[in-house]
Amino acid sequence: MKSINYKYTIITSILIAFLFSFNGFSQEDELTASDYKMRFSFKTVKQHDNTRLLEVSFIGQNKKDRKDKIPVFDAVIKFYNNEVLLGEAITSDEGTAQLIVSASQNYITDEDGYINLLAKFEGSDGLDEEEEEIQVKDLFLELNLEEIDSVKTVLVKAFTIDSLGVETPLEEADLIISVGGMISKMKLEEGTIEDGEFEFKFPTDIPGDVNGDIIVYSIISDNDDFGNVIQQKNVNWGTFKNDIVKDENKLWSEAAPIWMYIVLTILLVGVWANYLYTAINLFKIKKEGKEIELKPEQ
Amino acid sequence: MNLENRKRELAKEFSPLLEKTTKTSKIWMGFLILVILVGVYAFFVQLFKGHIVTGMRDNVVWGIYIINFIFFVCLSYSGAFISGILHFFKTPWKNSVSRIVEIITVLSLIIGPIFILLCIGRLDRLHYLFIYPRIQSPITWDIIAIMTDLIGCFIYLYLTFIPDFAILRDNSEEAPKWRQKVYKFLAIGYRDIPTQREKLHKITRTMSVMVIALAIVAYSVLAWIFSLTLQPGWNSSIFAPYFIIAGLYSGIAVIIIAMYLIRKYYHLDHYIRKVHFIGAGVILLVVSLLFGYFTFSEYFSRWFSHKTHDTNLLNTLFTRYFWMFIFANYFGVLVPIVILFFKKLRTIKSITFAAIVAIVGLWFNRYLIVVPTLETPYLPIQDTREEFVHYTATWIEWALSFAGVAAFILFFILIMKLVPIIPMSGIIDNEREQKKNKKSFKKIVTE
Repeated sequence: MKSINYKYTIITSILIAFLFSFNGFSQEDELTASDYKMRFSFKTVKQHDNTRLLEVSFIGQNKKDRKDKIPVFDAVIKFYNNEVLLGEAITSDEGTAQLIVSASQNYITDEDGYINLLAKFEGSDGLDEEEEEIQVKDLFLELNLEEIDSVKTVLVKAFTIDSLGVETPLEEADLIISVGGMISKMKLEEGTIEDGEFEFKFPTDIPGDVNGDIIVYSIISDNDDFGNVIQQKNVNWGTFKNDIVKDENKLWSEAAPIWMYIVLTILLVGVWANYLYTAINLFKIKKEGKEIELKPEQ
Repeated sequence: MNLENRKRELAKEFSPLLEKTTKTSKIWMGFLILVILVGVYAFFVQLFKGHIVTGMRDNVVWGIYIINFIFFVCLSYSGAFISGILHFFKTPWKNSVSRIVEIITVLSLIIGPIFILLCIGRLDRLHYLFIYPRIQSPITWDIIAIMTDLIGCFIYLYLTFIPDFAILRDNSEEAPKWRQKVYKFLAIGYRDIPTQREKLHKITRTMSVMVIALAIVAYSVLAWIFSLTLQPGWNSSIFAPYFIIAGLYSGIAVIIIAMYLIRKYYHLDHYIRKVHFIGAGVILLVVSLLFGYFTFSEYFSRWFSHKTHDTNLLNTLFTRYFWMFIFANYFGVLVPIVILFFKKLRTIKSITFAAIVAIVGLWFNRYLIVVPTLETPYLPIQDTREEFVHYTATWIEWALSFAGVAAFILFFILIMKLVPIIPMSGIIDNEREQKKNKKSFKKIVTE
């Protein structure tokens, strides 16, 4: 484990050195950047608040050993909409750079309504320039959680808005309905939006959190036209039951097993009753002594 | 002879022991006070600087304090046990040793728990033990057991003192006034009339049974503090009886040493005779055989089962603690057995020597139960600094340990200044009994 960390540190240091140094170097017995193939992947997610997440994953993969992957960190990634710079971000220790573009951003679109997004790494002495371009349409997801005839129903509407502000329902796209879990989202239903609408009967056995609250997600994932679009809403539809029954009267519970109280009480009462009996007798002895002391005087 | 005259005679005989303090005795008491003061200083150093001044660390969280605690508390329980047996079965030679045993019982039960307090890093949170007790915890059982036992032993000791306080009250006209007042208060109007005598005998006898039962319960609870954990070397089903036997072993040995010292320095050869030493020696022999048997069973089963952690522990015992192990479990058992087994070797000095070997051996036995186990934990030690892996007691711990022993001896001497070490009432009871037996014998012969 220690040696792996050591190796990773060396290689990452080399990559960083290539990013910032003007003088590249190599050693025969050490891996260099040229031994790694750069994986530069770019994706966009339209989030529930209509902001757009632009994310780049920048990883070096060993050409010989594919399992050997090294994230490229501290690399500056610039994001463009056509030639307009949307912003820039630096890759993290995991090799990921993220930029959140506000919901009010006016994107430049082509005649078909596609937004052209570009992520670019301008390169360094050691690493070549990398870039990836994606085109997505701006899709709006509307998630409604309603009880229709006492049936908890998830209603999803998907549409695009043209330059004149006219809503056009989405013809067809795959949709996933999920609920938020402790670690990841739990898929409930996979379906298809047709004519911009999707309806789903929400199950009655989802516990939710302690208050019965559930986060419901409607997700369009890796769509050719729209990329990733997520919408979410919080609803109190959970049927949470406190199933964690507290152990009572166990060795590990707050209250001890009943027999312990009984045994301890018997022992203590037995002993202390005896002490009391002794004390009473001592008082009697004292009383008798006093009577004897008084007699000669009388 | 008239009973009152006999009482006066006995009070006169023992009064020099109570009232006069020789120069040697004063120097000795001064030395003991000095040792205690050094201990008090060490205590304050520990209090202000924390446990860092001791050898106790994250792994070895218990050191010689807990060993002293077990040692003294076991001594007390064994004292209570022996005293209860002596009283309940009306052992013929009980009179010479009963008071020694009773004083040992109470004093060690006062001093022992002080050592457990020294183990607590945050003494300011001590009251939490009483505010938030957890009935499932052996520590809570031990606190309850010790407190109940302490009160029981105090009552029992007091009951056995009452007749002597009464004799001293009635026959200490020349004693200082404060002493007369103390005797009067403590004698609670006891006049040795048949009804009072009967009541006192009855409750003393009941209490003697009670202290035997309490000693067994408290002994077992003390052993369970260790054996109910899963630690190698502690998790043993025979630990409770093993502790009882070990406690008796140390108790009898301390009684023999106390008898020897009191006999020598207070010139009580007439009361503490060779027959008492031989009697105690034979009991020590029986208990040492039992103790040896338990020790062998304990280590043999660990060695034979060959569980990884037990093997590690045994390796530690036979490498780092080799000589201590040999002394504690071979010499500490075999030397007393050899000395006490042969009649010819049973002299007062040799019996006392056997008792000293037993005591030292037993203290090391306790050390080997506590420290090596903590030095071989289940989880590997992360920090390999020497002081984290191995335990060595610091001067603070030694100073407080010796202060405990000094306090024990000092209080013993002070109690001997309050009441005679040989119960006068016991002597009178014996004489009364003999007279009664003579009368009934005479009656049988004449009829």
